[in-house]
Amino acid sequence: MTSLFSINNLAVAFHTDRGELNAVRGVSLELNSGECLGVVGESGSGKTVTWRAAMGLLRGQKVKITGSVRLRDRELIDLSAEELRELWGTEIAMVFQDPMTALNPVRRIGSQFSEALIKRLGLSKEDANIRMLELLRMVRLPDPKSLIRKYPQQLSGGMRQRVMIAMAIACKPSILLADEPTTALDVTVQAQVLDLLGDLRKELSMSMVIVTHDLGIVAGYSDRIAVLYAGEVVELATTTELFANTRMPYTQALLNSIPKLTDSPGSPMQVIEGAPPDPVLVTTGCFFAPRCQYATDRCRAEHPDLVDSGDGHIYRCFYPLGKGK
Amino acid sequence: MHRNSRPKIGLILSLSWFSVCIFCAIFGDFLPLPKWDDYDYDNSAARMFSKGHILGTDYDGSDILSGLIHGSRTSLGISILSVGAALIVGSFLGILAAYRRGFIDSILSMFFNVFLSVPTIVLTLVLVAIFSSPSLDGSSTELPRELVLIISLTIVFIPIIGRLARGTALSWTGREFVLVAESIGMRRREVLIRHIVPNVMPALISLFVLGIGFVIIAEGGFAIIGVGTQPGASWGSMLAKNRGELTLAPHTALIPATVIALTVASLNYYGEYLRSRIDDRESRI
Amino acid sequence: MTGLGKEHLRQASDALLRVEDLVVEYKTGRGDMFQAVAGVSFDIMPNETVAIVGESGCGKSTLAKGVMQLLTTKSGKVVLSGVEITGLGKEELRQVRPNMQMIFQDSIASLDPHMTVSQIVEQPLKVWGRGTDQERKEKIEDLLKSVNLDPDVVGNRKSTEFSGGQCQRISIARALALEPKLLVCDEPVSSLDVSIQAQILNIIREMKNRYGLSLLFISHDLAVVRRISDRIVVMYLGKICEVLTPDQSLSPAHHYTQALVLAVPMPDPTIRRQRAVLDGEPPSPMYPPTGCRFRTRCAAMTTICAEQEPQLREVSPGQFVACHHPIV
Repeated sequence: MTSLFSINNLAVAFHTDRGELNAVRGVSLELNSGECLGVVGESGSGKTVTWRAAMGLLRGQKVKITGSVRLRDRELIDLSAEELRELWGTEIAMVFQDPMTALNPVRRIGSQFSEALIKRLGLSKEDANIRMLELLRMVRLPDPKSLIRKYPQQLSGGMRQRVMIAMAIACKPSILLADEPTTALDVTVQAQVLDLLGDLRKELSMSMVIVTHDLGIVAGYSDRIAVLYAGEVVELATTTELFANTRMPYTQALLNSIPKLTDSPGSPMQVIEGAPPDPVLVTTGCFFAPRCQYATDRCRAEHPDLVDSGDGHIYRCFYPLGKGK
Repeated sequence: MHRNSRPKIGLILSLSWFSVCIFCAIFGDFLPLPKWDDYDYDNSAARMFSKGHILGTDYDGSDILSGLIHGSRTSLGISILSVGAALIVGSFLGILAAYRRGFIDSILSMFFNVFLSVPTIVLTLVLVAIFSSPSLDGSSTELPRELVLIISLTIVFIPIIGRLARGTALSWTGREFVLVAESIGMRRREVLIRHIVPNVMPALISLFVLGIGFVIIAEGGFAIIGVGTQPGASWGSMLAKNRGELTLAPHTALIPATVIALTVASLNYYGEYLRSRIDDRESRI
Repeated sequence: MTGLGKEHLRQASDALLRVEDLVVEYKTGRGDMFQAVAGVSFDIMPNETVAIVGESGCGKSTLAKGVMQLLTTKSGKVVLSGVEITGLGKEELRQVRPNMQMIFQDSIASLDPHMTVSQIVEQPLKVWGRGTDQERKEKIEDLLKSVNLDPDVVGNRKSTEFSGGQCQRISIARALALEPKLLVCDEPVSSLDVSIQAQILNIIREMKNRYGLSLLFISHDLAVVRRISDRIVVMYLGKICEVLTPDQSLSPAHHYTQALVLAVPMPDPTIRRQRAVLDGEPPSPMYPPTGCRFRTRCAAMTTICAEQEPQLREVSPGQFVACHHPIV
């Protein structure tokens, strides 16, 4: 597997009134060609900021970004806004959580979509129209001809998301980045959209990154999963390995606290007490220690580095589960 | 919540200036200065810093500084009273319209829109003509000019404030905490007073401050077209009275103009500051 | 599916809450009327948790507000502790309110940004003049402690300073101040992180036991609902399609419930299953299909489904389904 896209030691700090907000503290991730990487974390874990920074979407904000972001062999961090925009849509396409903010509510779907095609691909109006209908069919939207005459608010959430996906794959990107693509959708629609993404990935040979807080989603769709906590990667493994041999107590606690259909009814929820550390404060030791049931003094004093157990399973813990404490 | 530890210079200056004006308006009479309407024809158009008149005199000899101090009472009085009255009536009507919706809202909104379309100057002219001009046969009662100006400006401002109050209140009435208040068993009136008004008022206070500045200038405008107060009794009328003197004794017109400008600038600054503070707070919610 | 079936209702005299044939209409921006809740009946016994599950547009939130009489209901009745509250006048309804309280999905918007936490929790007590100042102060402290918030730390702070999870705790404390018999929870954890969800659900469970509450729990998450409810009511497009217990929820009789069960993401990669079994989107609630409202997406649809609305019938003890061809 060749590395298609890599983030190396990315650190993102926002300058706020309260001080430096360390949203991302040294994250390294790799996306291999043809794979689907799941990036999982709760709010405040830095999962969204990581990708926004990597995509250059944080420009203009009071922020300091260090580290390296490479697409194939190109370093993206120092690219100008123009150069980055060239990549968007052609190499990397993005799908976001709330399509309402990405679509212009005062223009019909058809007009927005074809304009984007004309601008990006240089197609003529007729060709753009044909391609647009083709794409809308590819994302399994019923009756594309009447759909393009509608306004975004007239569509349901699931349909809007599909339109976004259609626009994203228009230029046949190598990488599709989906940031919480189904969070705002009903669970039955979620299932449809995720199945669609999975099928499109195969059809177009795309690599994919799914950023989400829902471990359940990535369990079925990704090849590898990275778990983020307090701005760092705390565990990274293939999907089967992550679930079968969870090493990091946080991942384990997260898995336990998710309500599953297989739970016995009426049983109390397993809770992770407390909250993630305030990103403005400087903490010593492991960031999860205050909430970890296995924490020792060493955990509170020293900050653990990432450990590679050899089989591609990386974790950040002095006393990983399953290996004895 | 973080606050800048150093208050802005602009804020200090504008609030200081405005305090001076208010002080003059209230205590002006007690200052040991010549009366503002003491015509001293021998001393007319005296320069600044001449004997007995720090800021000089008008073409008819009245002391400019006294005029300014007396004028502060008139100008600020008219503006604060009119915008203040409009604030009370307008916010009540606007909030009521937003909370009750339906028929009441339609009537009040229509009322606002109708009055908003009446030009300020025309309305003032009409009211002054009816209530504050001596009639040909001298028999009708004459209201003091200041009162008529206050009334007309209040009428102008009620819909402006009312519309803002309604819009702001609408953004709050949809919120869950209003539903919560109803679900606890609060009476509607209580919900309005305890929940909606405190959240709407900050936006209105900002408009109030900006409105005062607007009226001060408007009052000057009225003076220039001849429907203002007695010449020299307010800042605007001082400016109007002396505008012919710009070549010979410019200070007689420029000084009141400067005072008006400084006051309005201070009010605008403070009003905008309030508004940005509120926007900051609201965006976090 | 129909609101006309009442087989699933239990003895009226035993019930804490009994809803019969409730219809709630909605007016869209353009003035069209449609029935968001189209004839729903269910009941809740004392100390019982009943969950209403469904996806967006099914009318579950509207149903919750209708039960609380926070909006006008078109027809049908809501009976709380034997008192029919649907017909009551404004003041009489107000008197009933302390017996039923509600918490909402948007926990941050549920709190008045102008008030401190103590003031928010105290407010219901002040409205009804309960207790002396000292007694109220003690009660507030007690309530805040029971939701795991330290009254000395949070009491004087404004609600804007807190996270979603903390705001929801404050709302729970406020809702319990009047010691209601019924607590209506409208998607209380849907906008919270998974680990915080677990905390809040546990608090709700503890409060239920401590105060002997009945809960009406609205959610779109079937997995959550299975953990905390005694009875599950599944809604689709304004009507009830199935009523069952959490144990039975893994072998549902209605095709929609089945689709819901299959669609729930399982955090276990070893389970391979077809997740998306439903085609297309739900029809607009303004033009519901005739007969069974689910028929346009149902694989088992036949002609009778378009002609006759199915009634809720018992298919196994405690499991009621409104379907002409239930899954056996």
